[in-house]
Amino acid sequence: MTRYFKVQVVFFFRLIVGIIFVYASWDKIAHPAEFAKAIGNYHAVPFGLENMMAMVLPWVEFLVGIGLIVGIMVDGAAIMSVVMNIVFIFAISQALARGISIECGCFSVTAEGGDKIGLGTIVRDIVYLAMSLVILNRQERRLEFFPKSI
Amino acid sequence: MNIRTPLGQAAFFLILSCIIGFGSNLVREDKIPWIAPELATTESLDVTDETHEPILAVISLVQAKQLFDDGILFVDARDDAYYSKGHIQGAMKNAFLMELIFNIEARQSKADPLVVYCGDPGCGDSEDLAYDLQDSGFTKLYVFKGGWLEWSKAGYPSEAGQ
Repeated sequence: MTRYFKVQVVFFFRLIVGIIFVYASWDKIAHPAEFAKAIGNYHAVPFGLENMMAMVLPWVEFLVGIGLIVGIMVDGAAIMSVVMNIVFIFAISQALARGISIECGCFSVTAEGGDKIGLGTIVRDIVYLAMSLVILNRQERRLEFFPKSI
Repeated sequence: MNIRTPLGQAAFFLILSCIIGFGSNLVREDKIPWIAPELATTESLDVTDETHEPILAVISLVQAKQLFDDGILFVDARDDAYYSKGHIQGAMKNAFLMELIFNIEARQSKADPLVVYCGDPGCGDSEDLAYDLQDSGFTKLYVFKGGWLEWSKAGYPSEAGQ
């Protein structure tokens, strides 16, 4: 982990994952009802809690994305990114295993422009997960403003 | 909560998101309820209704029996083992969704009425399956919440085996 993942690579990954999270949060923040329906389609959240999840999750994505891009609380942001991607991978896998054919609800939650879940969406999340782990395991802290980098 | 530690920071992101997310939902115009509403129970059972409004509603034991007598197709959402032990007479066995859809379409169109049930009022499989079928284009879906428990208790026509 030390020499290969140099400062530039970590910063590049921070930008990529951060921009993807901010981009992914945008449509969900704008359309909470549609996003709640998209979560409900996975049939993985009990007691109608998908609505509360639809209120909070996009903001977690947005704030974590901003944190990664700007360099604020990068450790916490990377942890949240790891956790979220693991949850996404599980949610998609269980839906696929049960043979449910649904929209991903990953980037776009409105009727147009959504993508179906599949092996591709899982691989995509595994790549983001790997990038987040690299960020979390970085050795040097550069371009981080809080807690201040050395 | 120490926001200098990684876990403290993660908690900070979560708490701040809850505050903004719940707070913004209180003030925005297109707010959503805290808890997603459950399926409504239907009053009318007009299966010949020719309007193209999609239906997804819960029905009672009496209504289920009425649909059964009308020859409406029932789909058992439970696992094979339960189905073999006993199911509503003539009910279709659950399968991998695509296969199930294929089996249903071999008998009727997506616009024809369909009743889905599972074990008892507490099981969620029938509702889950109904949503899946709705997503797949079926437009007249009834969820018999009482399921096998109420049906068998009432002594209505049943059968066992595959």
